Amino acid sequence: MLAAGDVEMVLFTIQIALLGTALNLVPGTAAALFLARYRGPGKEAIETVLSLPLVLPPTAVGILLLRALARRGLLGTLLGDLGIEIVFTWKAVLLATMVMSFPLLVRSARTAFEEVDPRLVGIARTLGCGPARAFFRVTLPLAWRGILAGSVLAFSRALGEFGATVMVAGNIPGRTQTLPLAIFHYDQIGRDDRALALVGVTVVLAFVALWSAELVSRRRSGRTAA
Amino acid sequence: MIAFAVELRLARFDLRAEARLEGGVTAIMGPSGSGKTSLLEVLAGLRRGARGRVAIGGEVVLDTERGVRLPPERRRVGYVPQDAALLPHLTALRNVRFGARGDRARVDSAIETLELAPLLERYPLSLSGGEKQRVALARALASDPRLLLLDEPLAALDVALRERILPYLLRIRDEWRVPALYVTHNVGEAVALADRVLLLRDGAVEALGAPLDLLAMPVLAEAAAAGIENLLQGRVSSHDEAGGVTRVVLDGGAEVAIPLARERLVGTPVVLAVRAEDVLVTTGAIAGLSARNVLPARVLSLERTGPDVTLRCATDGGTPPWLVRLTPAAVAALGLRPGATVSLAVKSHSVRVV
Repeated sequence: MLAAGDVEMVLFTIQIALLGTALNLVPGTAAALFLARYRGPGKEAIETVLSLPLVLPPTAVGILLLRALARRGLLGTLLGDLGIEIVFTWKAVLLATMVMSFPLLVRSARTAFEEVDPRLVGIARTLGCGPARAFFRVTLPLAWRGILAGSVLAFSRALGEFGATVMVAGNIPGRTQTLPLAIFHYDQIGRDDRALALVGVTVVLAFVALWSAELVSRRRSGRTAA
Repeated sequence: MIAFAVELRLARFDLRAEARLEGGVTAIMGPSGSGKTSLLEVLAGLRRGARGRVAIGGEVVLDTERGVRLPPERRRVGYVPQDAALLPHLTALRNVRFGARGDRARVDSAIETLELAPLLERYPLSLSGGEKQRVALARALASDPRLLLLDEPLAALDVALRERILPYLLRIRDEWRVPALYVTHNVGEAVALADRVLLLRDGAVEALGAPLDLLAMPVLAEAAAAGIENLLQGRVSSHDEAGGVTRVVLDGGAEVAIPLARERLVGTPVVLAVRAEDVLVTTGAIAGLSARNVLPARVLSLERTGPDVTLRCATDGGTPPWLVRLTPAAVAALGLRPGATVSLAVKSHSVRVV
């Protein structure tokens, strides 16, 4: 069913999605906390910028990334001087999936933070917790389910990222090709059987991701409902 | 001792409250929306916009002129809001331990005071309102506070449950001796618990004094009349098994009989509650009345309260005036006016031990 190299390609896709989600986790959580608590000016502008990748065509985001990272681009020159090449490498794949999945993580985590009663945090403070301790002992334990849900969404989005990836990383078999790119490639060259086999793989992956997240959050919440 | 002079901008008015309070319990009363909860939050350090000065037990925790603003975690203040605000992801035990910084002994005695042993492994979701309040009280005590801030801890509970929690509050007052500010709308609770009442109105301190003195103030007298209770402090003097009554000598010297309460040891202090409408008034001699408690009294004042008339009556050797609620028809029939000599009669079964 799967052609030679397809297994490596699937593993590569999973690795990229996992790594991207892991790298997004801390900045995404921080951004979500900021948006949930910050009340000052410019809040709407920041929110809008952070949500842009959700509504822009992925190819548009891809072009922007390409422009910024290309050898003569703004960041590209800087990175080139350091000897780092991003465009059309696995790093470009990683970056594209991270940018595209970041807002999903932030949205979900932000809702979770907003649902934490700020008075509970206040109580924790009166009981001797500094702001950081109160965050780790109260806010995070009450919001982690939303953060997990957001991470699963972001991971699934990363698995399926196509438009931005193809612009900034190309579709190079064995180097930058991911699952959705391979499905498209097989379809283009008339290998429907291989394309369908890969579709099966994506369904299984998405299913496993969602289901295991559900299981984890069910098990941890069992005691509170008891 | 707690001293504060604070300002905080609120939606409808500004909180500008100033007071010096000795130890013991201070009840904070006043109409809804008069700034009571905001005042507690300012003292706890939970309101960023607060300005002014706050000193708790001699330590200045807020002095905006000198740039002193201790964060809540360094104020050592135990705050119990109306809905208890337990941490939902922790068991009762871990809630109590939360602020104790590993002080096992304190945790154990807080658990003992509030009789939480059977509840320790339960999560807040499965606790009743009264149980949640007890856990929240224990949690506040275990954190070794210099000041307790209790925001209507009984308000969310029904009357029967209130009377079950009140003894715990009395224990905290008498055994732990932590100074406390106690927000309440209930005159009975204030009289039973507090050494003084601070009356807050539109964000300002309107009055500060002994609970029974303040009851004379129209705003509270009305609350008391609507809230029905006469609260009397006294000590158990004897049990009459055959007669089925327990006798209590009130602080003023008068004696009342209550339904036999053997579990209250002779000599222990008790607070008794009598509804104002359960008191009978007679002007003539009393003969053949079943009521066990007949107290000679003098009418101090009559006041129209809604459909009824509320009398304040001074009893012989009884310091707090009794509140008696009668219909206007009864007042007219007896020809009652200030200065009239009367007898107050109360059935034993109309007297409850709080």
